Amino acid sequence: MENNLQQQIVDATRAVFDTMLMVPVMSGAALADKVYLFKDSISGMLGFSGDVQGMLTFHCPQRVAFDITGQLLGMEVDSIDEDVKDTIGEMANMILGGIKDAFLEQGTNISLAIPTVMTGRSYQVKTVDYASWTTVPFYLDDGEFLVELKLKTFDQ
Amino acid sequence: MKLQKNITAATTEIFETMIMLDITAGDPVLERTNNFKCSVSGIIGFAGTCKGILAIHLPEKVAMSITGSFLGMEVTEVDDDVTDAIGELANMVAGNIKMVLDEAGKNVTLSIPSCVHGDEYTLDTAADCERVVIPFNLESGQFLVELQVKTD
Repeated sequence: MENNLQQQIVDATRAVFDTMLMVPVMSGAALADKVYLFKDSISGMLGFSGDVQGMLTFHCPQRVAFDITGQLLGMEVDSIDEDVKDTIGEMANMILGGIKDAFLEQGTNISLAIPTVMTGRSYQVKTVDYASWTTVPFYLDDGEFLVELKLKTFDQ
Repeated sequence: MKLQKNITAATTEIFETMIMLDITAGDPVLERTNNFKCSVSGIIGFAGTCKGILAIHLPEKVAMSITGSFLGMEVTEVDDDVTDAIGELANMVAGNIKMVLDEAGKNVTLSIPSCVHGDEYTLDTAADCERVVIPFNLESGQFLVELQVKTD
């Protein structure tokens, strides 16, 4: 399941970058440690429920968010504005959309909540203990970002 | 209007039965509240026949006093106990609101809660949602409960 999740994250993220951003992206090995603390970053978070419950989060440095937004919208971006927030929320939405399709092929049905975008100089994001974490780093020419998938592991 | 009533009923019940603290609901906050300083926010999504998020935003001081009351111990810093408790608080309030939505003929299920903590952060959601923010007052200060619902 772990390897499978990692592969689904990689496939869904690559598909979004290939088709929407036309930018090559390299994936790294899933991180062994949980990442909680983010500095000068922006995170798009999207919950889901159904046959499994969980949360997908897209974390990136603000600088990388400017590049992604600029590439998607075809313009220069140099501050955290509505365009950047919308884009990062939409990244979470599109990546989770791909994962949802992959889940469905295995007979697992999920529906998505609405994305939330957080940003700040320094913030921590935590979740409950009863969730598994899979965090995959991705590398662009000019920076990196994380895609994190948390799944509830047993019924509370 | 109905969302407001649901938030107030759900939150008040959780505080009465689980946290054992008296709270008073205020009038809905109309201005945009997306910037938080030295705060803790518990967030949980839900999906089904309608979808959205429920978020609870608390100054650190209020988050610590609620956690202390919930766990029956003194809390002096925002540690894992506090972030766990605030995530769980969002989960419990959302669970109550889910029951009301289900009774109203909707069928929703909850995602898992997350908790954000920081000196200064902003939280934004897609704009095309019905959004209600209710302030609650208690002895240690004020916190906000925010419900955003999108109906397809």
